[in-house]
Amino acid sequence: MTTQKKNPVRDLMRNPLAQILLFTAVMALLQILSSAGLISSSFVYALGNTMIYAVIAIGFCLLLGYSGLASLGTAGFIGLGAYAAFYVIQEFGLPYTVAFLVTLAVSIVIGVVVGFISLRIEGIYLAILTLGLAEIIRNLLMVIKSTVKIDLSNVKLFGIQIGDREAYFLVLVTLAVLMWLLSNLINSPTGRAMLAMKNSTSAAQAMGISLMKYRLLAFVISTVFAAIGGLLYMMFVRNMTTATSTLLTLSTSLNILGAVIIGGAKSPWGTTFGVFIIYGIQSMFLSKIPFFVKNPAFITMVTGVLIILVVMFFPGGFAQIFAQFTGWVRAKLRKGAAA
Amino acid sequence: MAAAFLSTLCGTLLSVCITAMAAFAVTLIFKTSTTTNFAQGSIAALGCYVTAELFGAYGVPVFIGVIPGVIVGVLAGLFVDIVIFRNGRNVNAVGKQIITMGLVSIIFGAIPLIFGNPESIPFEPFFNPQKAGVSPNFIIPAFGGEIVVTKHSLICLAITVVVLGALFLLLKYSKWGLGVRATASNEFTAELMGINTHVITAVSWGIAGALGVLAAVMYAGGGTKISTSFMTTVQVNAFLAGILGGFSTFHGPVIGAVCIPVAASCVGFLANFPAFSGISRWNMVIVYVLMLIVILIRPQGLVGKPVAKKV
Repeated sequence: MTTQKKNPVRDLMRNPLAQILLFTAVMALLQILSSAGLISSSFVYALGNTMIYAVIAIGFCLLLGYSGLASLGTAGFIGLGAYAAFYVIQEFGLPYTVAFLVTLAVSIVIGVVVGFISLRIEGIYLAILTLGLAEIIRNLLMVIKSTVKIDLSNVKLFGIQIGDREAYFLVLVTLAVLMWLLSNLINSPTGRAMLAMKNSTSAAQAMGISLMKYRLLAFVISTVFAAIGGLLYMMFVRNMTTATSTLLTLSTSLNILGAVIIGGAKSPWGTTFGVFIIYGIQSMFLSKIPFFVKNPAFITMVTGVLIILVVMFFPGGFAQIFAQFTGWVRAKLRKGAAA
Repeated sequence: MAAAFLSTLCGTLLSVCITAMAAFAVTLIFKTSTTTNFAQGSIAALGCYVTAELFGAYGVPVFIGVIPGVIVGVLAGLFVDIVIFRNGRNVNAVGKQIITMGLVSIIFGAIPLIFGNPESIPFEPFFNPQKAGVSPNFIIPAFGGEIVVTKHSLICLAITVVVLGALFLLLKYSKWGLGVRATASNEFTAELMGINTHVITAVSWGIAGALGVLAAVMYAGGGTKISTSFMTTVQVNAFLAGILGGFSTFHGPVIGAVCIPVAASCVGFLANFPAFSGISRWNMVIVYVLMLIVILIRPQGLVGKPVAKKV
């Protein structure tokens, strides 16, 4: 490979920041096209929704893929963010930045608590325990207030009135910034320490890696991402009936876990694609096809079959499928060039 | 007060039975396939829909209709193990979890396709007191008051004791039970010892499916509205019961399954005292927090043994 000519375009595309900027540009373009009336607004709405789940999922990707800790408490953490947003913005009339800081503070505290729990309990036990924690949070929130609704008519961010379009851009920019932070983190000594911890806790400790420090960090980061997801959900969707909404139940935690697994647990882009498969494909494409409009139950079935097939035959998820596919294409091209 | 308290406890009898069955099923799968079966609840719902359809459309009484329902549960369980798990390429524990999750999606999609999407589904308990023209409750005078027990919950208690008792005896004395225990301790070694682990896990999945459907039919017979996700709470409680009792033994999760509904009703009973009158809203929160504390103090569970890890 060293003898190959330098390819500036390819080098640029391998740069995480360039990838993120390209992604942001494409997503922003879709919104602009929708404003111009070229794309239906429901498509862009579904896209925004999917990106919120992507924020949550990339945080979970760090937890599962890099630290090897399984949690089923994601839904509860989302609920914390959503309720923090509701109370700060709607009840107290404070600006978005305050809501953001409150969400951050609450989720850091909860993340530290779960991190300490994870030092005592591991594996599936930890997953079920965090599931219990999520149930506690859900029940608690349900008792506190059964329906939360945000009115954005006088909410401003940097002097800009937040409407549908601004909320979309808020989600997009948050996703891009968090993605950039995450890609820096996983290529740093911290990311490598987490990976070492995932492969063997004993070996990692022998190398001087503090389990406590990195487990707490992993849980804090994933909790913060999930809570920010909840905050963005309240900004974008704006209402939630806790008792009937499935957002705070086990199914969301499982869907996020599923998105990370079928996307490829160690790849944030793969995870984003996994979220797209689980959440996006239903609302963006399948719901447009007349057959599926008539039988909406088939959509859930298609998703289920897809998940099972990917896990059965590609344990590395879509990241692996993509790598195999590009490898295959490259081999074909090389053969073509030789002949 | 004592009679009222005993009545409250008798009121939890049904949910104790249901949670115990689900917890045993979850444990069986956990020990033989090293995965948590998230589809436990939806397989149960599927079987229950079959029973309800037979009852609603063809008038088959539930105590007969439960048999085809259980058969569907067994087949669904066998399908997971034989068709999906065995054909997957080196699927690990988390992968298996995701597969059961995908299965939940498929079943949630399949139920409305097969059975339509009716507002309410007619159902009856195993023994329908309305048809027989008798009171649905037994009333036992004691402690200067009356203890009320529904007949349905007593029937369910009998079924649960017989079924779980038989399973525990099988685990202890039958060749299958020995195989299950060997597979649970180490699947690879069990295979080397000449145990057909494929048969063992397949049978375990079948039994888990059957127990789930039985629990769902009992639950629906108690008056709970049937829906695709009506077993989800039971399933979550069964998982929690599993770690509360400890997955390292088979009886631990069943003990945990008894503790959770009983603790919930005890907390609920406190509402009878004026000082705690608002407590019933916080019922589940308090129970889950108590459970969390117990698990943090004893991570191996109430009756479990600590697991030594080899480096």
